[in-house]
Amino acid sequence: MLEILHKLGINTPDIIAQMLVFGIVYLILSKYAFGPVTALLEERRRRIAEGEDNLKKIRENLAAAEATAEEVKAKANAEADRMIKEARETAAAAGESERQKAAAEANTIITKAREGSEQERARILGELKRDFGRLVLDATARATGKVLSPEDHARLNTEALSQITNN
Amino acid sequence: MLADSVFLTSIFSVLSDAAAAHGEGAHEGGHGGHHGVDPDAKGLFAGDGVLSYITNSVLVGLIVVGLILWFVRGAMKKVESVPGKQQNFLELVVEFLYKQVENIVGPKIAPQAFPLLATIFIFVTVANWFGLLPGVGSIFVLGVGPDGHGQAPLLRPATADMNMTIGIALISLVVWFVITIRELGVGGFINHTFGPKGGLKGAMKYGLMPIFIVVGVIEVISIIFRPMTLSLRLYGNVFAGENLLHTMATLVQTGNAAVDFICSVLLRIPFFLLEILVGVLQGMVFALLNAVFIKLSTTHDEEHGEEAHH
Repeated sequence: MLEILHKLGINTPDIIAQMLVFGIVYLILSKYAFGPVTALLEERRRRIAEGEDNLKKIRENLAAAEATAEEVKAKANAEADRMIKEARETAAAAGESERQKAAAEANTIITKAREGSEQERARILGELKRDFGRLVLDATARATGKVLSPEDHARLNTEALSQITNN
Repeated sequence: MLADSVFLTSIFSVLSDAAAAHGEGAHEGGHGGHHGVDPDAKGLFAGDGVLSYITNSVLVGLIVVGLILWFVRGAMKKVESVPGKQQNFLELVVEFLYKQVENIVGPKIAPQAFPLLATIFIFVTVANWFGLLPGVGSIFVLGVGPDGHGQAPLLRPATADMNMTIGIALISLVVWFVITIRELGVGGFINHTFGPKGGLKGAMKYGLMPIFIVVGVIEVISIIFRPMTLSLRLYGNVFAGENLLHTMATLVQTGNAAVDFICSVLLRIPFFLLEILVGVLQGMVFALLNAVFIKLSTTHDEEHGEEAHH
């Protein structure tokens, strides 16, 4: 037995030396490598799990938000349709009212214009009569060569006017 | 890319060692060297002091420890949530190993067992691969040994030294024992080893008690022999692999140096690639066997019963 051990080079001091070599690497790796790395991996695993949970929640929230948004959009569309309809009706009513106002105003303007026109016509007609009477008197005075009296004036004016009116 | 690197390293190592093997062959009578790896690790310092315990195997073990710690320090220097290349690789290895360990020993024991099993895998694998590097076993130093007149390779494969494999196995045994006692307690361990199994009750339980005690004694003997079986398995594989490579290097002896050199290179290449695979496999086997031992000793009887029901 001892001969076999000797042939294989087995001896206690060498075994202890090799145990020290392996023990050193075992202790150092346990404390400074495997511990921190496994803790880091565990932390990363926890973060990933948290991230997935958060992602799931976000997806749920997003779905809920989308549903709410759809609901709000549908309500908004209905409200908008109602408002547009109301606006159209209001606009139509207002248009009709304005049209009536404009028509009334136009009638007023036309009436006033007619009245003005009548007054202008009467004024022009009056001036024409005066001018015509004056012309008749002047023409009569030059044709007869005498100075006409106020009674002649009145008579001639009356005759001339009656003839103008008749014509 | 990785495959190319491994292949180029293999070729370089083969060339280097082939040259060394031929040099050794040519001068065999000169120093009376061994064929292949010497089973006995040689001390590198003369005399009987503390330094005389530093053998070429211990030196390689220390270099391997240094390499592992250097890499880990680089990876853990600045730990970030978004890891760099080194940190990423370390995390990849740790995560992969942790899952394997957890699958075998269970989530409760995994945090206790993982450091030992991961260290075994990493250390044994790196040590096995280190033994394949050029220069390991082929660079000799003079003036060593107790009388100061001997010579020995400066570096030799650490796991081809039985002292190293026994050392790892003994530490594994200690850690296994600590984990088992922590999980079951002393009474629980004794009950687990010698007590009745399979949920037996009543007369059957007491009737079969002698058999379970004998089984327990056999179990204790197997536990005592575990370090030997574990260490011999690893040692045998690596030692045989190293000697196989050396044998292939010196297999063809035609007398023509150029032909001998080319043959020694070509013959070693497939075995060299095989040894790269064997290196990682042996690391995995050593760690997995320890994981199974821990699982078997920390499993409560009620769990056995539940598993049987399932």
